[in-house]
Amino acid sequence: MAVAARVALIAAVGMALGALFGRPATMAAVALALILAREFQQLLRLQRWLRTDRLDEAPDAGGVWGDVVGMIARLHRRKQYHKRRLLRLLRELRRSTAAIPDGVVLLNPQAEILWFNRMAARLLTLRSRTDVGLRIDNLVRQPEFVRYLAAGVFAQPVVLRSGTSGERFLQLHIVRYGAGQLLLLVRDVTRQEQLETMRKEFVANASHELRSPLTVIAGYLEMLANEPALDPAVAGPLQEMRRQATRMTGIIEDLLALSRLEADEGPVEGVDVDVAHLLEQLRRDAQAGSSPAPDVQLQVESASRLRADPALVQSAFANLLDNAAKYSPPGGTITVRWWTDAAGAHLAVQDHGIGIAAEHLPRLTERFYRVDAGRSRATGGSGLGLAIVKHVLQRHGGSLEIVSAEGQGSTFTCHFPPERVHAAAAAA
Amino acid sequence: MEAADLSHHTSRRFNEDLERVRSKVLAMGGLVEQQLSGAIGALIDGDSKLGKSVAGNDYQVNGMEVSIDEECSRILATRAPAAGDLRMIVATIKTITDLERIGDECEKIALIASRLANDERPPDHYRKVKHLGWITQSMLHKALDAFARLDAELALATAREDRVVDEEYEAIQRQSITFMMEDPRAIRRALDVMWVVRAFERIGDHAKNVCEYVIYMVHGKDIRHTSLEHVEQEIRSRGARA
Repeated sequence: MAVAARVALIAAVGMALGALFGRPATMAAVALALILAREFQQLLRLQRWLRTDRLDEAPDAGGVWGDVVGMIARLHRRKQYHKRRLLRLLRELRRSTAAIPDGVVLLNPQAEILWFNRMAARLLTLRSRTDVGLRIDNLVRQPEFVRYLAAGVFAQPVVLRSGTSGERFLQLHIVRYGAGQLLLLVRDVTRQEQLETMRKEFVANASHELRSPLTVIAGYLEMLANEPALDPAVAGPLQEMRRQATRMTGIIEDLLALSRLEADEGPVEGVDVDVAHLLEQLRRDAQAGSSPAPDVQLQVESASRLRADPALVQSAFANLLDNAAKYSPPGGTITVRWWTDAAGAHLAVQDHGIGIAAEHLPRLTERFYRVDAGRSRATGGSGLGLAIVKHVLQRHGGSLEIVSAEGQGSTFTCHFPPERVHAAAAAA
Repeated sequence: MEAADLSHHTSRRFNEDLERVRSKVLAMGGLVEQQLSGAIGALIDGDSKLGKSVAGNDYQVNGMEVSIDEECSRILATRAPAAGDLRMIVATIKTITDLERIGDECEKIALIASRLANDERPPDHYRKVKHLGWITQSMLHKALDAFARLDAELALATAREDRVVDEEYEAIQRQSITFMMEDPRAIRRALDVMWVVRAFERIGDHAKNVCEYVIYMVHGKDIRHTSLEHVEQEIRSRGARA
C-alpha cells in the first residue's frame, strides 16, 4: 500500500505543479512517466544482479524492489546452505566407505558396475573411472564367480583364488537390495585359508607322529598283561592302562580318518556296494560287541546297490550303530532301515535311548562335541564319530538328518542322492 | 569406439545381443585363464591329479568356442552389422579361435605335467619355466582385460610383452640343452620341458593376437603385420580413443 500511496502522492504533486503552469494533466503524465522510468531502472538493476553469479552481494534498493531483492537473496542463501550440507554428507559417505576394510561394489540388475570403493578397486584390480558400466563378470572372470553370479543363489559366499600364482584368496558375497540391485562384498580371506590349511596339516602330522609311540606302548602293555609272573596288585592298573591306550589309538585313528576325508575334497567315484550285505555284517559285529547285545532289527526294503566307497560307508554306518548302542538302554532295540525312493537312497538308524535335547542338535556333528561330558567319557568313543559320518556323506553328495526327543530316542538318517543308486542286477 | 558407443543402436535387442556375446567371450577367457593357472600349478607342484583334471576340462573350452561362433554367425546373418559392430563381431570370432588354441596348449602342458610329476625334479625346480608361465598368464589376463575395457593402450602394451616371452623361451631352450649335455639321463625330462616351454611361447603369441584384435576393434586398424612402434605412432597421432 505504501507503494500505491507514493505513486498517488507524486502524481498529485505533479498535477499541482502542472496546475501552476496551466497543464495539470501533462505534468501528471510526466510525473507518472518518471516514476515508471525509475521502476524500470530498478527492474534492470534486478535483472543485471540476477544475471551475475554474485548473488551474495545484493544491491541496495528501497521499497518493493528491496523486498524482492531481499527475498531472492534469502532463497539463494538457503539453497547454498542445503548444498553445503549435502556435499558434507557425500564426503562423509565417501570417507566412510573408503575406510571399510572390505571391498564394496554396487551393481545394477544386469550386473553392471555402478560404483565401487577403493578397497574393491584394490582387491579386484578395477579402474576408477573407466570400469563403471561394465559387467562385473567381464572383469572378474573366474568360472566359479561367473557361475555364482549366473545361478542367482546368493545364500553363501564364493571363494576365489586371485593373484599371479593364485596366492590370494578372496571371498565374494552378493546381496540383493532395492529394486533388483546387487551389492557385492569382497573380502581378502588369504589369512583364514592359510590358518585352515595349517590346522589341517597340523592335525594330520600330529596324529601320525602320535601313532607310532602309542603302538609301542600298547604293545608292551599287552606283553606285560600276559606275563604269568605278574604281581596281582599291578594287574588292575595294567588293564586300565591298556583300555586307555586302546581309547587313545581309537581317537588317533579317527583323527587321521577325518584328516584324510578333509584333504581329499572331490566327490567319491566309488564302486557298487551291496548295502544289505553290509548291514548284515554290521549287525553281527554289533551283537558280538557289547553284552547284553543290543537288539538290532534290520528293515532292508531295497536290494539296490550304492555307488560309494565301501570303506567310508562302512565306517559311517558302523559309527551310527555304535552310537545307537551306546546311548540305548542295555539290550534295547535299534532299528536300521534301508530304502530307496525318488529322492535317492536312505539309511535310518533309530534307537529308543536317552535322546538328545534340541539345543544340542545343531552342534552334534562338531568334532569332540559332547552332550554329556561325564557319560560320554565313561562309555568311550573319540567324539569324532558324527563328524566322520557327516564328511563321508558330504563326499558322496549326501546329507545327515538328525531327529531326536529327550527321553524317547533318536533317529539318524543318511540321505544319498539318486545318482548313486544302482538297481540290483537281475540275477542274484 | 567407446564401450558406451555400443549403446548407440536403433535396436536395443541388438545391443543386448552384442553385449551378451562379449560377456560369453570373457567367460570363455576366464575358463582358459583357470586352465592355464591349473596347468602351471600341476607342473610346479608335481600334481598329476590336477594335470589330468585340467586336460579333462578342455572339452568345455571347445564347447564354448562352438557356441559363441554360432551366436556370431546368427548375428551376422540376421542383423547385417556395419562399421564398429561388424569389426567387433569379426574380432570376436578371431579371438575365440585364439582362446581355444590357448586351451589346447594348456591341455598339452597339463598332460606333460602329469607325466613329469612322477619324475625326479630338475636342479632348478622349474624356476625359469615357472617364471615364463607367470608371464604368459599375466599377458593373457591383460589381453582379456583390454578386450573387456576396449582399451587399445593396454592392448598395445601387452602385445609388446610377447618379445619378453620369446626371449625367455630361447633362454630356457639353451638351458635345457645344457642340462641334456650334462646328464644324458635327464634328456627325456628336458625334452618334455622343451615341449612345455614351446606351449607357453605359443600361448604368448595367441595372447598377442587377441591384443591386435582389440586394437582393430577400437581403431579399425589391422595391425597384424605392422611393427608395434609404427602402430604406437599412429595411435598417438590420433589422440585419445577414437
